Amino acid sequence: MPVTLESLAARLGRRTGAVLRLVERMHADGLVETGPSGLRLTATGNDWALQVVRAHRLWERYLSDQAGWPLADLHAEADRREHSRPPGELDALDAGLGHPPHDPHGDPIPTASGDLERKPSVSLTRWPVGVPGEIAHIEDEPAAAYEQILAMGLRPGAQIRVIESTPSRLLAEVDLAQHSLAPIVAAGVAVRPAAHIPTPVGVPLTALRVGDRATVSALDASCQGLTRRRLLDLGVTPGVTIEAALPNPFGDPLAYRVRGTLIALRSEQAQHVIVDPTTITRGAH
Amino acid sequence: MDPGAPRTAALGIRTPNPDYVVALAGNPNTGKSTVFNALTGLRQHTGNWPGKTVARAEGVLEHRGRKYALVDLPGTYSLLSASVDEEIARDFILFGRPDCTIVTRPRRLEVGAPLARAADELAVMLDRAYPGLPSARWIGMRLLDGDQRVREAVRGGADILARADALRRTLDGAFRDRLVEAIYAEAQRIAARAVRQTGRARVDADHWVDRVLTSRIFGLPIMLATLALVFWITVSLANVPSELLAGFLFWIEEQGAAAFGRLGVPAWIAGLIWHGTYRGLAWVVSVMLPPMAIFFPLFTILEDLGYLPRVAFNLDRLFRRAGAHGKQALTMSMGFGCNAAGVIATRIIDSPRERLIAILTNTFVPCNGRFPTLILLASVFVAAALPAHLAALAAAGSVVLVVLIGVIVTLVASWGMSRTVLRGEPSAFTLELPPFRRPDVIRILYTSLIDRTLFVLMRAVKVAVPAGTIIWILGNVPLGGRSLSALAAGLLDPLGRAVGLDGVIMAFVIAIPANEIVLPTVLMVYAGAGMMIGPEGFDNLRDLLVGDHGWTLLTAVNLMLFSLLHNPCGTTIWTIWAETRSPRWTALGALVPLGVAFAVTFATATLARILGWI
Repeated sequence: MPVTLESLAARLGRRTGAVLRLVERMHADGLVETGPSGLRLTATGNDWALQVVRAHRLWERYLSDQAGWPLADLHAEADRREHSRPPGELDALDAGLGHPPHDPHGDPIPTASGDLERKPSVSLTRWPVGVPGEIAHIEDEPAAAYEQILAMGLRPGAQIRVIESTPSRLLAEVDLAQHSLAPIVAAGVAVRPAAHIPTPVGVPLTALRVGDRATVSALDASCQGLTRRRLLDLGVTPGVTIEAALPNPFGDPLAYRVRGTLIALRSEQAQHVIVDPTTITRGAH
Repeated sequence: MDPGAPRTAALGIRTPNPDYVVALAGNPNTGKSTVFNALTGLRQHTGNWPGKTVARAEGVLEHRGRKYALVDLPGTYSLLSASVDEEIARDFILFGRPDCTIVTRPRRLEVGAPLARAADELAVMLDRAYPGLPSARWIGMRLLDGDQRVREAVRGGADILARADALRRTLDGAFRDRLVEAIYAEAQRIAARAVRQTGRARVDADHWVDRVLTSRIFGLPIMLATLALVFWITVSLANVPSELLAGFLFWIEEQGAAAFGRLGVPAWIAGLIWHGTYRGLAWVVSVMLPPMAIFFPLFTILEDLGYLPRVAFNLDRLFRRAGAHGKQALTMSMGFGCNAAGVIATRIIDSPRERLIAILTNTFVPCNGRFPTLILLASVFVAAALPAHLAALAAAGSVVLVVLIGVIVTLVASWGMSRTVLRGEPSAFTLELPPFRRPDVIRILYTSLIDRTLFVLMRAVKVAVPAGTIIWILGNVPLGGRSLSALAAGLLDPLGRAVGLDGVIMAFVIAIPANEIVLPTVLMVYAGAGMMIGPEGFDNLRDLLVGDHGWTLLTAVNLMLFSLLHNPCGTTIWTIWAETRSPRWTALGALVPLGVAFAVTFATATLARILGWI
């Protein structure tokens, strides 16, 4: 599809006149050129664009992992931050986050030298019925469709299987629950062949009552960044025995005994700790 | 000169010529400090790590003619540096190369095969580039994890860094999980070999105590009673030494001024030095020192016992709703002693966003420099309107009410800031409930008197000295027939009137270094005196305020509110800067409370006018 002033204006939601001035400035800076199929980025322009994409995705990662923002709010704030910080600060951010390969939507983050990992994935609407896949990416625009997908609990990395696909409706099974999606919404979900990582089965730690013990089987994949690191550092690792030891006057947080230490976890943290239901031993209440 | 000296100096070691440097590293609350104290006794230096706001302890031990410098590293959960504490510990061990590090450090981690292969490959490269490097494999893992400091340390090997980046991309995202699991597995193997556990009795006893302290019925009453007891002891014990100290220090002032007079020193020099500079100093010391010297040790006992984390645990729900951390209850309690100390105490909150909230709102808790003002106004105005037998109760009740307002404002401000200016700051909740311990009294006296009381007092003195000088100048230098202080009060009068006060709010401006001297400055202006005066200097304070200066109940209430809510004192602002090193947070820490103080007092004044109370 050729890129024209009109198509750009429509995509950006701006008037054609404003976009014309923008393109003229980019032209003067050597960022865009006019090719046989309309406007396109020059090599310099492409490098710049990759750095902006890198900034955007790193900020999304930061806001989600470190500051604990809800997924639906990430895009707008990352849009604000992607242009405003110097490149040096970006490298420090990248390092501080431990050089994450993907943003919270599952998109690859370009490296400082501009390398971008491309894994083949296809839209959910074209994924074959019955074949298990893994959600590779969820498009965060348009916002309305994105929020609908999030509300259903779909996440990058989740296991998915299409049960039925018709032009008017798509029925899919995600983590044992069935969801019905309009094709326009399903188009925002990209799927790739399932990796061979067994998904953790179990119940959240919040299922334990005071006095109960169980074995930790995993930390939920949606728990990342500082919170995950702290949990690991406190010794909440797969295989460890954890006991709900002490309530407080308001019932939350609860103190858990793990590796001989008493630590308080708020319910929103305890939810991320998955325990093996077969190992639960009920204590005296 | 000792050939070892440059190296120990580079480590920041202050012990002269040690034979060995020994670092103590490990998790918080694992008895590291107990070992440290047992070995070094009181032969310790305490202070901060260079350029950091993390406490540092170093001690000396002599054994069989050898001198050992012991460094107690900050407690860390891991060397996968996530916090300043962890960075310091890692840097000291990795780059400082102490002679010996006492820690359960994993030697050979059993990690999954892909990670092990990647780390081994890097270790071979590292070994070739830097022969004889200890723990090359561990450094390889740090490179895979993307540790920036370790990257900088091996920046000579660009090929190694490039290879590490390439290898990282071949590993799955749960890489860090594997690493931590492996560290714990190794620690468990070591513990199984080396640690003997004798019975569960301690754990059960602790558990029983915990059940009571955090129970639905007793938890909150025990907490309130304990804190009330601490405040009661502080207030009742501090009065006498405070008066004695004030009497003594002001006696020196008189003697000094008289001696200057006999020596023929011009009166203005004697006034400036003795009634200005010295008086400001004496005032701050006599009001601040006794309560802090009583409050901080008591508070440190509760801390040492392990009780304070239980208070944070009990109250966390309340603070969580405000976007804050339960430990803020502790930094607020510390704020009753001194807001600067409260700000320093926020170091116990290791989540950056919640720590900033606690720093920026600490001033809404009235410190002991503001309590005398609150008590005085409550007894002169609220209590005086009631029959004698109710007076004391009413005065106490109104002070409690003011404190409650402070707590409510703290929670509302925390809520507001966590959703606006602080929303993008990192956050992760952790709260450990350490085992109960018998308090070490000598250690408590040492840390609370030296590290807290004297530390804060020195800071306060540094700002009180110039303030005393300036206040004297304002009170004595005339301009067009009136003193500068009277002129300033006149200038600020319209602003003061708008918030139900008068020009004396300028006392809050010039007495910014310490809240202790706000009231003496107010009285100085009202009495037209040339130096600060305390309320004892007046036979009938009520007549002066109501009769001569038209005070109403609203004036008193709003002065109490303004005193509660206004900007922190200079010492606290300085401390906010020292703790955050950020102009932005320091400015917010000063201006947000000031804005709140004006908004609240303006609201009450306007309401009173509309209802026709004044």
